[in-house]
Amino acid sequence: MKDLKGLSAPEPSQRWMRLRVRLLGAIFFALLCAVFARAVELQIFDRERLESMARDQYVREIEMPARRGDIFDRRGVPLAQSVEVDSIWVDPSLLDDPAQMARILAKKLNLDAKELAERMERGRRFAWVKRQARPEDVAFVRSLKSRAFGFAKEPRRFYPQRELAAHVLGLAGMDGHGLEGLELAFDDELTGEVSRIDGFRDARGRKLLTQGAINPIDRQGASVTLTIDRGLQYVTEKALSRAVVEAKGVAGMAVVLDPKTGELLALANYPGFNPNTPKDTDHHQLRNRAALDTFEPGSTFKSFVVAAALEEGVIRPDDIFYCEQGAWTVGRHTIHDSHPHEWLTPKKVLQVSSNICAAKIALKLGAANLAKYYAAFGFGQRAGLALPGEGKGTVPYPRADIYVATQAFGQGLTATAVQLAAAYGALANGGVLMRPYLVSKVTDPDGVVLLENRPTPVRRVISARTAKTVVSMLESVVENGGTAPRARMDAYRVAGKTGTAQKADPVAGGYSDKRIASFIGMVPAEDPRAVILVVVDEPKTDVYGGLVAAPAFKEIAEAAMPYLGVTPSRPVAAGPEATAVSVNPKSAAARRASSSGPSVAVPAVAVAALTENAPAGDVRVPDLSGKAGREAIARLLAASLEPRVEGSGRVVSQSPPAGTWVARGAKVRLDMEPRP
Amino acid sequence: MRSDKGAARITFDPILLAAVMALITIGLVMVYSASAILAHDKQSDSFFFLKRQVVAFAFGLCAMATVMALGYRRLARLAYPIVVGAILLMILVLVPGIGGDANGASRWIRLPGFSLQPSECLKVAWIIYLSYSLAKKREKVVTFSVGFLPHVIFAGILAGLCLLQKDFGSAVCLLVLLFSLLFTAGAKISYLVASVLAALPVAYHFIASEPYRLRRITAFLDPWGTRHGDGYQVAESLMSIGSGGLTGLGLGDGRQKLFFLPEAHTDFIFSIVGEELGLIGVTVVVVLYVIVVWRGLRAALGASEPFGTYLGMGITTLFAFQAVVNMSVAMGLLPTKGLTLPFISYGGTSLVMMMTAAGVLLSVSASAQRASFGHRVRGQLSEAVA
Repeated sequence: MKDLKGLSAPEPSQRWMRLRVRLLGAIFFALLCAVFARAVELQIFDRERLESMARDQYVREIEMPARRGDIFDRRGVPLAQSVEVDSIWVDPSLLDDPAQMARILAKKLNLDAKELAERMERGRRFAWVKRQARPEDVAFVRSLKSRAFGFAKEPRRFYPQRELAAHVLGLAGMDGHGLEGLELAFDDELTGEVSRIDGFRDARGRKLLTQGAINPIDRQGASVTLTIDRGLQYVTEKALSRAVVEAKGVAGMAVVLDPKTGELLALANYPGFNPNTPKDTDHHQLRNRAALDTFEPGSTFKSFVVAAALEEGVIRPDDIFYCEQGAWTVGRHTIHDSHPHEWLTPKKVLQVSSNICAAKIALKLGAANLAKYYAAFGFGQRAGLALPGEGKGTVPYPRADIYVATQAFGQGLTATAVQLAAAYGALANGGVLMRPYLVSKVTDPDGVVLLENRPTPVRRVISARTAKTVVSMLESVVENGGTAPRARMDAYRVAGKTGTAQKADPVAGGYSDKRIASFIGMVPAEDPRAVILVVVDEPKTDVYGGLVAAPAFKEIAEAAMPYLGVTPSRPVAAGPEATAVSVNPKSAAARRASSSGPSVAVPAVAVAALTENAPAGDVRVPDLSGKAGREAIARLLAASLEPRVEGSGRVVSQSPPAGTWVARGAKVRLDMEPRP
Repeated sequence: MRSDKGAARITFDPILLAAVMALITIGLVMVYSASAILAHDKQSDSFFFLKRQVVAFAFGLCAMATVMALGYRRLARLAYPIVVGAILLMILVLVPGIGGDANGASRWIRLPGFSLQPSECLKVAWIIYLSYSLAKKREKVVTFSVGFLPHVIFAGILAGLCLLQKDFGSAVCLLVLLFSLLFTAGAKISYLVASVLAALPVAYHFIASEPYRLRRITAFLDPWGTRHGDGYQVAESLMSIGSGGLTGLGLGDGRQKLFFLPEAHTDFIFSIVGEELGLIGVTVVVVLYVIVVWRGLRAALGASEPFGTYLGMGITTLFAFQAVVNMSVAMGLLPTKGLTLPFISYGGTSLVMMMTAAGVLLSVSASAQRASFGHRVRGQLSEAVA
């Protein structure tokens, strides 16, 4: 600027002005530098802290639990499924008056106001209002139009077959974790992986975007396929409950086992419960007693004594034993028979169930052999169902003769129903004990088999010949003169054994006058396809297994045989007298050819029984035809109706039909078929 | 040497012009980015605010070109009408039914299609008036009774008008412009210091008497402690800028504008710049302001007469002050003021007036070019352009 001076010399005041302008310029520059320095501070040095604070408010890590895997019966009928239900949450910091809102919500949604207010207090920015809420709850909260509320889809466990196999399946809780039964035993597999995704939200609490969608397959737990057959299970449960009710018993259990494979086709407990409404059920009622709990089996054990004695050669089928006229003293104890007998062959011993002669055979066999064979039949060890809390039973070594004697008729030792059925399975299966199992397969959603159970022979217990002999002896039990003529079937040969055990009195010690009545049988006797055990706890009307449990056995067997496609042992028309002796194999083969797969008939009957007429009422049944199963179920639940599902796939028919007015909570049956 | 007439058009400082245009461009892009979601939410048209800003830009361009074509010298004759007009508008805002009410303060005159913010006009009018007045008084500026007191009183009245609209920022801005120009014009520093000292208790009383102003101060001092109350805006703004880091989250990818940060497209647009463009973007913006201030001061120094110098100085002060204050507020260095970020913030009146002011400044720069034709570099430059 110096060259300017020559042209027009600035006045002194103007020179001052230049200085002042530059001074102001320096101040502006300094201020802009300060601004820049602050930006560096914020964006470089404080970045991490500020960024995480910002993230805290717009990123919500959303946990997406995998949809819990399904449980199927052996034919792929779903027994337990998960459907998505809305849960309601709240960001209490966005509410003007949380306490007031808590009161309103509690009133409308049937919640405890105090508890809800506390939860909202605790939650600060997140609290569940109601999980797995009813559709009307969701509608109400939506109508509040408050940005404080949010909705999350949560899977709800649904048991389409209701009480069916409830004890086997157990329960899954609100948080989607198994509490009982298979739901607990296979919890890890069913639960699957929890995926965590970052969801952005804006300041109004709306979920905006998530980082990519999740592959639905990743979001599903493994499915569990059971050996249970829905149809047989239904029949078994019905027969069992009838037996227990008629005998005025306190409880009951029943097992249907395939002796050739060890598969449990049905496993029933009475009383039952509806796993869809677990709150109505006492906890002890949820227990799968047939698989887990042990009891003193009683006379059903005599078969093993005879089998062992025959196998060891200490007796022969034509030996005879003196039954002491109904009372025999061993040491300081006296053993009684229910009816006095004199001389009996081993077959007769089983037929009339003589305690005294069974004891004599056991004493002849010896304590060591008795213990050896009981162990070989699988007693005193876990059956291996892989269920948590599965009992193994106690079989103490009989150190005194009296213990040998009592163990011979199944007192003084304990076993589970499944163990007993499996041991009879060994008799039915030519002497080879198969490991019983309940779960046939656990499969990942992408088809990888995580676990597969196949028929597993545990050991040969007795020779095929001995087994055959014992089974034919057991056939006499259901004949006239046996203890269980009521188990006798027209079309099939039955071999079985009754049991009427005294219950140990845990308070007074010794035995009470309470009984456990049981019947275990196999059909058809010539080539058993099913071992069926029915146990009634504390029957009041009659106490004998032959009277209380045998009819239920027969009911189950009559449904099971055609269901399993088993050829009748004899023409149905033939009278009982004509078939007392063994069958000509030739004619049996001929009959086998003439009968063909009547297996569909029974489930149809069961289905008909399942369907109930819904009373006229206030909910309209939606049209579900063609809908996928899960969607159909979700829609029924949304309409406050209770689905009952037949088959899998898409809905082909429904009952009652669409548009019918029914009462809230009415059952709607859905028949489904896989998409062609 | 060159012909005076032709040179008048082409010797506007191209660097200043480029810097201003660059800031406006950044502004339009950021207004869209910051407002799209809000616009979509409120107006169902994500371009709503951008469209309005573009219209304002068009008006601003016309105003700027007009001023540049006419030359700043004509403003001397218009100084009184301009300042009177601005004052009338300021008073009009206070008339019930005319002033729109936004954010608790009536600062707008609602007109069909748009609204006018008179305080933005007043700032530029004040610069023109003050420059004219100071230039007219020449040596007498140094005196207390003629040069100092009347301007201070006038400024006080205008600041009072701003305060009636609860526009504390503009009031302070008018006073800063006054001091800047008095200082430039040669007012005694003792007067200036004394008046600042005298103003302090008044300012304190003024702040303490209005609860919302006091809360703003406490919020400024401790934004995190008052994060869910008065410190909310500042805390959100700090989080925005901090999350940007060096390179930013990317244009359009800011998250704070998802209703976390109120006024994201107006007073707090700098936060979105920081979040989306990072320190790099902030640096560009700050450097552009430095260029504007540098070229503005250069124009003021080169002006051929005091009126031009004062105008250039006042306008540069306006740009610098508003930019510094706005960015400082966004970064928690100053309490919330409500001053726009020149050329960038959404706001039609602000953009038009800032562009008009830039036109005046460019006009001054042209005069500076003419005045210093002997300078080697400038000579080359103008020859190249000619």
